[in-house]
Amino acid sequence: MSTLAVGLMYGGATLAVMASGMPIALPLGPVAVIFMYFFMPSASLDTVTQNVYEEMASITLLAIPLFILKGAAIGKSKAGQDLYSALHVWMGRIPGGLGIANVFACALFAAMAGSSPATCSAIGSAGIPEMRKRGYSGGFAAGVIAAGGTLGILLPPSITMILYAVAAEQSLGRLFLAGIGPGLLLVVLFATYAVLRFKAEYKAAQRAYAADPAQHPILSNERFTMAMRFGALPRVLPFVVLLSGVMVALYGGYATPSETAGLGGILALVLIASIYGVWRPRDLGPILESTLKESTMLMLIIGMSLLYSYVMSYLHISQGAAQAIVAMQLSRWVLLAAILVLVVVLGFFLPPVSIILMTAPIILPPLKDAGFDLIWFGVVMTIVMEMGLIHPPVGLNIFVIRNIAPDIPLRDVIWGTLPFVLLMALAVVLLCLVPSISTSLPNLVMGAPTR
Amino acid sequence: MSAHGVDLGHPVVVTAARPGSAMARINRAMALLNKTIVVVCSIALIAASVILSYSVAARYFFNAATYWQDEAAVFLLVAATFLSTAFVQAGRGHIGIEALTGYLSKRGNAIRVLIVDATSLLFCCFFSWKSWTLFHEAWVDGQVSGSTWAPPLWIPYSMMALGMTLLTLQIALQLAAAMDGWRSK
Repeated sequence: MSTLAVGLMYGGATLAVMASGMPIALPLGPVAVIFMYFFMPSASLDTVTQNVYEEMASITLLAIPLFILKGAAIGKSKAGQDLYSALHVWMGRIPGGLGIANVFACALFAAMAGSSPATCSAIGSAGIPEMRKRGYSGGFAAGVIAAGGTLGILLPPSITMILYAVAAEQSLGRLFLAGIGPGLLLVVLFATYAVLRFKAEYKAAQRAYAADPAQHPILSNERFTMAMRFGALPRVLPFVVLLSGVMVALYGGYATPSETAGLGGILALVLIASIYGVWRPRDLGPILESTLKESTMLMLIIGMSLLYSYVMSYLHISQGAAQAIVAMQLSRWVLLAAILVLVVVLGFFLPPVSIILMTAPIILPPLKDAGFDLIWFGVVMTIVMEMGLIHPPVGLNIFVIRNIAPDIPLRDVIWGTLPFVLLMALAVVLLCLVPSISTSLPNLVMGAPTR
Repeated sequence: MSAHGVDLGHPVVVTAARPGSAMARINRAMALLNKTIVVVCSIALIAASVILSYSVAARYFFNAATYWQDEAAVFLLVAATFLSTAFVQAGRGHIGIEALTGYLSKRGNAIRVLIVDATSLLFCCFFSWKSWTLFHEAWVDGQVSGSTWAPPLWIPYSMMALGMTLLTLQIALQLAAAMDGWRSK
């Protein structure tokens, strides 16, 4: 049977089983095993488990549960709220400062917790009510938080990037650094938009005030004393120190990325124990339990995705597809656009981890062939997958916001996030025009790539 | 869906069995076992973090060679991952795509869940069986990992086999409970 026919059957079978609502890890496993049975030597069935073990038993991949532990420890404590209120009192004076404070809080928290939805729920549960109390429209408040949350998988340490580094065989340290520039670019874009939108809403409120001098909360001013500003710092600084300390350990060459994960996990637990008094087994239980839930689910998906792509590559499906793409002789940018559209479409069905592991063997060779820097592409792909977090039909962050602010109508949330989706698309275009936004920092810190 | 490290707080579906029946007792035992396993896995998680942090400190302060830490952490994390799969399955925590749910009737959905569980069960049976053979080979041949530390490979293999067996058991219990529910209707 031709590779094409086997490939089509493989893809078709996968879609059919997935549509049945099987837990995502499981359809990949049986489909891979059934195809092994029919199309591969029978001995390969005996080594299925060994394959899965050997692919998974990498300390880089297994650092993921530890990054999740760090995120859960910080996310389930009151750190998010404190971080948020500190930024609020410091930026209250700037027009639209509250919106900016929310974007900054999201970015900082995302960098500490490494998860988009966790950021949304931690910062959003404090930030959305505050913004609405101060007269921001519900959609705008939801948009700021949903978009700010997506920074979680772009700023280091990002789980999505760990998987990309493994799948693309690129340096994880370099990839982490490459995400920082674009992350800051997005922060600036989001904050600028927040100010413009604030001014528009402020003007609208002024006009409404002229017509009907009722109370318009957006027009009222809030004053914070210096004492309030400095009083907010002690609870926040330790976390900022943790964040920068871990980064210094990583890039100063003291620790490998996985050691950083262990260090971060322990330090986060120590911090929440000393600042918030969370140390009793009763308090730690929920943190560890949710860590296990998330990481086990994710690791199982990863293990099965690896088995799946092993079969795909054994049967030459991935190589065949990659060669077919190269043979199409598409121009560089058409190729890139086509691949990014594919990523967006897959994002409707699959979590980012599966997209990366299943598509990497197919899409990376043609991209490399076309002369794209794979580190740069990892960042672009991450931003595109982030967009999927805030637009329908999946829009995980939208669901999180619906959870924490159920009274904002879904329509408003979606319209509120749309401008941010466009801003992220703009960031992707900027990255294509000026790749050095992403690549200059890793080149500066780690030297030019040796290729 | 929650693939990004956040607990969205979906209600845990508890499969109710008639009180006092054998099913109920087995379910209670499984729940207790899962609770114990969560504690063990939590300890493994923290131990892995401590070991990795220790390796940074040992290298920096004592210039000590770090040859066993990564592998020890891998073993602990493999154990934590596989042993807790049954616990995650108990709460139906493994995410799936609910594309068909909306189009099927209540009866149709029940049949869909049944087929999904039966397929999952078959696959997990197969995977557990192969994990135990892998463990057996490693034990009999005394296989060790290829590093300088060279720890025996039966340790992580046994964790994988045990975890997958528990997962199989958990799915079987859920399937049995579903069938039980059908009969009593």
